[in-house]
Amino acid sequence: MTEKVLMKGNEALAEAAIRAGCRFFFGYPITPQTELAAYMAKRMGKAGGVYLQAESEIAAINMVYGASAAGKRAMTSSSSPGISLKGEGISYMAGADLPGVIINVQRGGPGLGGIQPSQSDYFQATRATGHGDFHLIVLAPSTVQEMTDYVFRAFDLADEYRMPVMILADGMLGQMMEPVVLPEPKTELPEKPWAVTGHRGERPHNVVNSLYLKPEELEDTNIERFERYERIKAAEQRAEEYLVDDADIVVVAFGASSRIARSAVNKAREKGIKVGLIRPITLWPFPVNAIGAAADRAKAILTVEMNMGQMVEDVRLAVCGRVPVEFFGRAGGIIPTPVETLAAIERIAASLEGGAR
Amino acid sequence: MPKVADIQRALEPTWCPGCGNYNMQKALLEVLEESGMDFEDYAMVWGIGCHGNGADFYRAQGFHGLHGRALPLATGIALTNPDLKVIVNMGDGDGYGIGGNHFIHSVRRNIDMVAIYHNNQIYGLTTGQASPTSDQFMQTPSTPGGVVEEPVNPVGVAVAQGATFVARGFAGDVEHLKSLYRQALDHHGFSLVDVYQPCVTWNKVNTFKWFRDRVYKLEELDGYDPTNRTMAFEKSMSTFHELTCAPDECKIPIGVFYREAESFTYQDGLPQLDRPMWKHAEAPRDISKILEAY
Ligand SMILES: Cc1ncc(C[n+]2csc(CCOP(=O)(O)OP(=O)(O)O)c2C)c(N)n1
Ligand code: SF4
Repeated sequence: MTEKVLMKGNEALAEAAIRAGCRFFFGYPITPQTELAAYMAKRMGKAGGVYLQAESEIAAINMVYGASAAGKRAMTSSSSPGISLKGEGISYMAGADLPGVIINVQRGGPGLGGIQPSQSDYFQATRATGHGDFHLIVLAPSTVQEMTDYVFRAFDLADEYRMPVMILADGMLGQMMEPVVLPEPKTELPEKPWAVTGHRGERPHNVVNSLYLKPEELEDTNIERFERYERIKAAEQRAEEYLVDDADIVVVAFGASSRIARSAVNKAREKGIKVGLIRPITLWPFPVNAIGAAADRAKAILTVEMNMGQMVEDVRLAVCGRVPVEFFGRAGGIIPTPVETLAAIERIAASLEGGAR
Repeated sequence: MPKVADIQRALEPTWCPGCGNYNMQKALLEVLEESGMDFEDYAMVWGIGCHGNGADFYRAQGFHGLHGRALPLATGIALTNPDLKVIVNMGDGDGYGIGGNHFIHSVRRNIDMVAIYHNNQIYGLTTGQASPTSDQFMQTPSTPGGVVEEPVNPVGVAVAQGATFVARGFAGDVEHLKSLYRQALDHHGFSLVDVYQPCVTWNKVNTFKWFRDRVYKLEELDGYDPTNRTMAFEKSMSTFHELTCAPDECKIPIGVFYREAESFTYQDGLPQLDRPMWKHAEAPRDISKILEAY
């Protein structure tokens, strides 16, 4: 089916999740992800699944924990303050090696912040969603089509690597409408022999747990998990490259800000500035290969974000001092304009020209 | 002493026209004026929701807390200064849902404060999802097939949990609400005032008229004894009603369900709180002995 339908980003996330075989959705109201939950409320029952509005985000993530431990595809969604509350449960899921999909339609923070789009949960998503040594796979869509495709893929990744996967969207992507091609519903889902489903004496006991009181055992689980993370880093890094081959300046931007960066890049090209764009699709694992390669060819890197400068730290780690890494961002729910972004590119271009100064 | 006009901020409230929050604010402002309290004598705390926007509409020592966490925040404030009256405003989603556990524990702690719930039986600010007090079978954007769960019975929970002052008001009766606020402020201990606050935008079932047709006052009920916990609990059970019930089938009591004249608060259990913490810091210190050494 290649028919296009017009959908809001939040609705596309919901529909794609159902098509990916998610039958358990646990939510709690929060702007700007409201439409996702409302869509789930309408559709999930008809799809033979359960939509439950929990009493809090903490309850919701623990319901995901339970449904996932029982072997089902489960999801929860929220926006920034609610994700903070889910952090504890996400850490437990990571510790118990449970799949699950968490959607963050980000808004400005910290604290109650505002309800306008933001990317200020980058650190939270890639570094410290909860306590302990762990990572999530983090996917960053930039169009409604990608909202659809990435959530569909997220469930497979979660099951394959037995870990929670986060979709890091934002209020702008959640609220806007674009035509999408929806994926065919999945008919076959992976077996989960580890799930706690009751064994009727036919197989050994399955245990889903994150508690290890013996330090050696706990260290072993951490080491195993980090070996898995290394495999993920090798296999799953994704980034989109746009006009980078001959670029002197490479802009790095993800999600909504990559759309603005792309228009700024186009305008700069019209002015004869050799500039390209790398759009990280996986924020974890961070596409260090693509950015490292760009750093070998380009003369400067500019990171554009809707925050005070978070991903720029990962970019600097990937670039490792080879070329200067500049940052341009707007925070608090303000979306950077293409004009401002172009100006940031032009400043770098000017400094490159005057490099001999 | 501050008058209504002093306590009310010049900011025009952003609540929808006709919202029950207007009357709740009117009642509270008038009671604050009457109480003769100065600005320094009380602090106000708000949760997150339409009710919480009230934080902008009062001139008060105020705190706008996290969604659901107004009671622990207020507890922190109350413990720093036992002389302070702490007035907490919460929503039903805010205070009975995500903050439900804090409700139970604040009741059993009997922290000396007034807890006012703006109970509109809906999530107002997030555009009309079912709340923990929505009637069973009610249709909302989050429950297209109707609410499955039984609603929380705040009055019953509080009475059963040993609350020392439990009242329910209706935003459509300002004079009655004022009398509840007055008594709650006078009470020594945790005072619950659950107020039916019609949300004219999202709750098309529990409207002003719906309540007007059904509420009656406990104080006008022959033989009702608000010092009898069992009686209070029995009355609290009439919180539950059929969504479609006719006015004479589901009568809803408002008024003081239960009160204890003598109540032992958490603060009473902490003799070190005989005066505000900051006054401890101000206690004159004699440093002459230390100086002698030099
Ligand atoms: C942790 C967290 N989760 C969710 C929200 C979003 N949110 C804002 S107000 C609100 C609930 C509003 O309902 P209620 O408490 O009943 O108050 P009302 O708006 O009806 O006065 C929610 C869920 C939030 N601000 N913080
Ligand atoms: S949405 Fe409802 S509760 Fe909120 S201000 Fe409007 S009428 Fe009042």
